[in-house]
Amino acid sequence: MAGTGSRGRAERRSAGELESEVLAALWATERPLTPAEIQTEIGGGLAYNTVHTILKRLYDKGLVLRDADGRRGAYRPAKNAAELTAEAMHEALDRGPDPIAALQQFVSRLSPEEERALRNLFAGGGA
Amino acid sequence: MRFDVYTPLLVSLLLPLVSPVIGRRMAPALAARVLTSAAVLTAAATTWSLILLTTALLGDVPPVIREAHEDGRPLADPVPEVIGVAACLALAVVARRVQRAVRAERRTRRALRRLCEGHPRDTELVVAACEVPQAFAIPGRPGRILVTSAMLGALAPAERRVLLAHERAHLRHRHGRLVTAVTLAAAADPLLGPVRSAVTFLVERWADEQAATEVGDRGTTARALARAALSTGRAARPACALNFTDRAVTRRIAALQTSPPPYLWSAAAAVLALGALAALFAADATTDLVRLLANALT
Repeated sequence: MAGTGSRGRAERRSAGELESEVLAALWATERPLTPAEIQTEIGGGLAYNTVHTILKRLYDKGLVLRDADGRRGAYRPAKNAAELTAEAMHEALDRGPDPIAALQQFVSRLSPEEERALRNLFAGGGA
Repeated sequence: MRFDVYTPLLVSLLLPLVSPVIGRRMAPALAARVLTSAAVLTAAATTWSLILLTTALLGDVPPVIREAHEDGRPLADPVPEVIGVAACLALAVVARRVQRAVRAERRTRRALRRLCEGHPRDTELVVAACEVPQAFAIPGRPGRILVTSAMLGALAPAERRVLLAHERAHLRHRHGRLVTAVTLAAAADPLLGPVRSAVTFLVERWADEQAATEVGDRGTTARALARAALSTGRAARPACALNFTDRAVTRRIAALQTSPPPYLWSAAAAVLALGALAALFAADATTDLVRLLANALT
């Protein structure tokens, strides 16, 4: 029953959302991942074929590369566009008041005592 | 007029007082919406009142006074000249502040557009190869989610899903627009500054609640926030140090450790009524002024 529940969750995600998740998984690790590894990483009962299709789409867009000298069938993220974006972020900072600082960030900075409190949360909650 | 015209000012003093309470007790999706609506109404009413008070100076213009006296009608001047002049100065400050806020908004939009260059249009996630853990939503058509590689590397798979769901909620519910609206309102009416802070915090809470629903686990959501915040703290970031010590993340995590706050419809109606009150009184003051000037001139 729990299995069908999580499967349902994966299927409810749209193709675009799944693309983001696969790309995020590839960027999160240092080494190239095979479709099977990505399948395990993402979970939620995602079919192997679906992972393949998403990787193919990302490959066609030039966002991922096939790992040529490594394991067969493994993928790694393409860095070009990501480096360009990082450069644009630095430029935006250099040019004066940070326009990104005005945005809603996922998380804000912590004070030392807040940091201690959060570390305790991890120690107690079992991350 | 004597009384009506000052009501929006009174509401701008009241709204910041109720907004922290509303923010704590009410479901963030509802609280953010009603506070923003009330703030926009109040700011518009306050600005309009300043315009009315400035216009009332016209009553002191010699030709108007002469005509009024020739008519044998003594002119009842409801607005002391000092207040009229002060309103005129305040209006200039407001114009300057709004102009500056609009310019900052444009600058941010431009910078955001540049960040998406080189990424295919039909891809939601924009990754930046950057050592600083950062993540934010980029509003637009289509909306994008920018995450740095450092942030993705810091999170576990389920936590990455929380992050994406959180930013997606910002885009889906157009939080960018809400924040822009309340920012402009606070620029026009500086008294509303605390309402703006409340709303910017509430849209984060709103996105957290959405992410928790989507991932189906409040604990994982809280953990994602904690880990992201801790990794942000660790990173050496000389250039882009944000000095937020407003306890925002800790408060968000604490909120996720309890059950979601209820939709308090009656309280929401009361907040909206406060904004509507400001607008109504400003409208009433307008009719008073028009009648007064019409009396003086005919």
